[in-house]
Amino acid sequence: MTDQSKRIKDYFCKHTTRCTIEGVKKSKRFVGHDVLKADAWDKVTGDAVYPDDISFDDMLYIKIKRAVHPHAILKDIDISRAKKVQGVVDIIVAEDIPDVRQFGLIIRDQPVLIAPGEKMRYMGDALAIVVAETKEAAKKARDLIKVKVEELEVITDPFRAMEDDAPNIHPDGNIVITHHLNRGDVDTAFKDSAIVEENRYQTQFIDQLPMQNEAGVALYDERHGVVDIWAATQWLHDTQADVAQSLRLSKDQVRIIQPTIGGAFGKKEDVSVHIHLAIAAMRTGRPVKLCFTREESMITQSKRHPITIINKTGVDRDGYLTAWETKFIGDTGAYASSGPAVVHKGMYHATGPYNCPNLRGVSHAVYTNNTYAGAMRGFGTAQGAFAYEQQMDILAHKLNMDPAEFRLKNIYKKDSITPNGQQLTHSVNAEETIKRVMELSDWKGGRK
Amino acid sequence: MKKFGRGMATIMFGFGYGEGFPDHSIASIEIKEDERIVIRTAAADVGQGVITTVIQIAAEILRINPNYFEVVQGDTHKTKNSGSTSATRQTYFTGNAVKKAAEDMLANLYHYGSLEFRSNHPEIAIEDGKIYMYDDPDDYITYWEMAERVKERGEKLEAEGSFFPVTYSPDENGQADKVYVAYTFLSQVIDIEIDTDTGIIDLLDVYSAIDLGKAINPKNVEGQIEGGTVQGLGMGMMEDQVIRNGKTLNAGMTDYLVPTSVDVPKFKHYLVEEEDSEGPFGAKGVGEPTLIAAAPALANAVYDAIGVRFFDLPISPSKIKKALKEKEENS
Repeated sequence: MTDQSKRIKDYFCKHTTRCTIEGVKKSKRFVGHDVLKADAWDKVTGDAVYPDDISFDDMLYIKIKRAVHPHAILKDIDISRAKKVQGVVDIIVAEDIPDVRQFGLIIRDQPVLIAPGEKMRYMGDALAIVVAETKEAAKKARDLIKVKVEELEVITDPFRAMEDDAPNIHPDGNIVITHHLNRGDVDTAFKDSAIVEENRYQTQFIDQLPMQNEAGVALYDERHGVVDIWAATQWLHDTQADVAQSLRLSKDQVRIIQPTIGGAFGKKEDVSVHIHLAIAAMRTGRPVKLCFTREESMITQSKRHPITIINKTGVDRDGYLTAWETKFIGDTGAYASSGPAVVHKGMYHATGPYNCPNLRGVSHAVYTNNTYAGAMRGFGTAQGAFAYEQQMDILAHKLNMDPAEFRLKNIYKKDSITPNGQQLTHSVNAEETIKRVMELSDWKGGRK
Repeated sequence: MKKFGRGMATIMFGFGYGEGFPDHSIASIEIKEDERIVIRTAAADVGQGVITTVIQIAAEILRINPNYFEVVQGDTHKTKNSGSTSATRQTYFTGNAVKKAAEDMLANLYHYGSLEFRSNHPEIAIEDGKIYMYDDPDDYITYWEMAERVKERGEKLEAEGSFFPVTYSPDENGQADKVYVAYTFLSQVIDIEIDTDTGIIDLLDVYSAIDLGKAINPKNVEGQIEGGTVQGLGMGMMEDQVIRNGKTLNAGMTDYLVPTSVDVPKFKHYLVEEEDSEGPFGAKGVGEPTLIAAAPALANAVYDAIGVRFFDLPISPSKIKKALKEKEENS
């Protein structure tokens, strides 16, 4: 016991990073200097502690039994054979945790475990938590769990999901959220435009692909009634709050400690291992570890939204943008995650950094039975830029203008107004970036 | 045959959560008797370098070498909310919170210093971890001694700072006075070569100019530009999680293509540093903006090279080959 508590203490302290810097000792200025990253030494030497580096002597290993069909009602789950596997300590199914609540970043629409009679909505939904003395036993038992389902129509396309006769993936319908943008008089402006260009763009599912998969360790401190969780999250206190409400605990009873994080890119905003770890630690009274495989991470955790973007853009004879109409339809998959924020953020950036007085836009985040989509670097605006920056080039070519010159003509300056009607009062040096990149690349009308 | 192409893209990114969401960071700084300055923040360092950024900011304000700093990272029971590492917000939000905490600490060093030296604040000098009177630099007390003396008074040499700027929620037409705290802008030119036989794109050169207010750490900004661009090029030309009938067909690193070091082009960049934002030392966030221009600049370069527009991502070799074949048949 002494040995264990000593080691636990180590893990509480390990996430302290000491800055070790050479080369700027004589300087009195530290901002604007190439100070070596404070965590570089630990990462290069292997001293950095990632979740999978944390181990306890009596630790148990978890594997999660996941959905067998992307859209189906769970009729029966049989764990009898799985329980007989040597080394299995506990197999937790929904009926064992009747009080546990759903979780989710913006909308709490994700079940912790699917109960018989309820639906699995994508291949990542969890059906059972298998806890065993070894990883191998947990895996073997997981694969012996038998599941009976009633299959439903699998909705793979947000346009199908929006049709009247499409089955509802969630009770309130398949459109999670709709946003609008309206400024000026788009219809008149299109009529008066010299050129109007309309195109439909489509982006894809992307995995954020951080080097480190989702992983964590948890320990239940029964004396204090606190569950300690070592697992990465991009927003510590938000994850703590979601885990606590799901387990009906106070926030003080859920302690999350960040180990070293091996990349995230948006993928570690969502709860992944945390709730399952906490449940297993509290039920078994022993330390538990859960590490996703790459396959599990890709199937279970969030993706970059595929977004269909329809852009209609007008310009006058002199090359000034006159009107912009846009539609953003984002496939947010089985659960909302960050979807209700991603898709319309993309739309709010639909025109790029260009002045356009007349604007109309609509965005929908839509449920399907695909792996859910959430946050990824760019948050809807990367998809938007793929569309608006091609619009800009296409229009420049039609106007017979240098694409750089066309951009300079329309670029935001101080006091320009964004699609949201926000006046840009400070730090607007977009024009300078175009001029500098033209210099840097020796830009000559687009050709080298 | 190899065909050269060049494409440009300019992008903007409104950072922070914005839209009226209560977006804020809290951080604290403590000077310890044992020659340590401890910063506590829940800001997740996912590799981007926020630990280093906040150390540099605090070192600058407190006029002492970064070597003395230690950062206690994310622990719900030791740190307060610093918001998420997302929305390109940590340098701006937690950077400002740490700057405010450091300023509070500096002011208190003057306060306690003036008590020690029985003097007015302007007569006191603070630098390199020492507090002294301008007219007698040899008679100094160190920050660590000061921490000891403050402790003897039953107090702590500790400061907390928060940053909590206001934004507004857009109305039903998406309109509001201030939706995002500020915007980062970036322009990029990408040069490529396409092999018309294989459809493979060779990435040659990437030129970037970013309006970031101020680079707290130019090397780390360079890292963000290169990493973000390569990730954006992955989106542009290879990455694709194929989900058919709800099932992922390429769940693994064997079948899911992602750029590797052999794909990485040469980079040149220019930092537009007007120091004109409300971030720490005028800094704006760079994390997400560095990714966004890559895919459209690539698409524009592909058009420049072979005269074909691609409206679907990724622009894979098979799509390029197919398009070139169709183009040939139609001409």
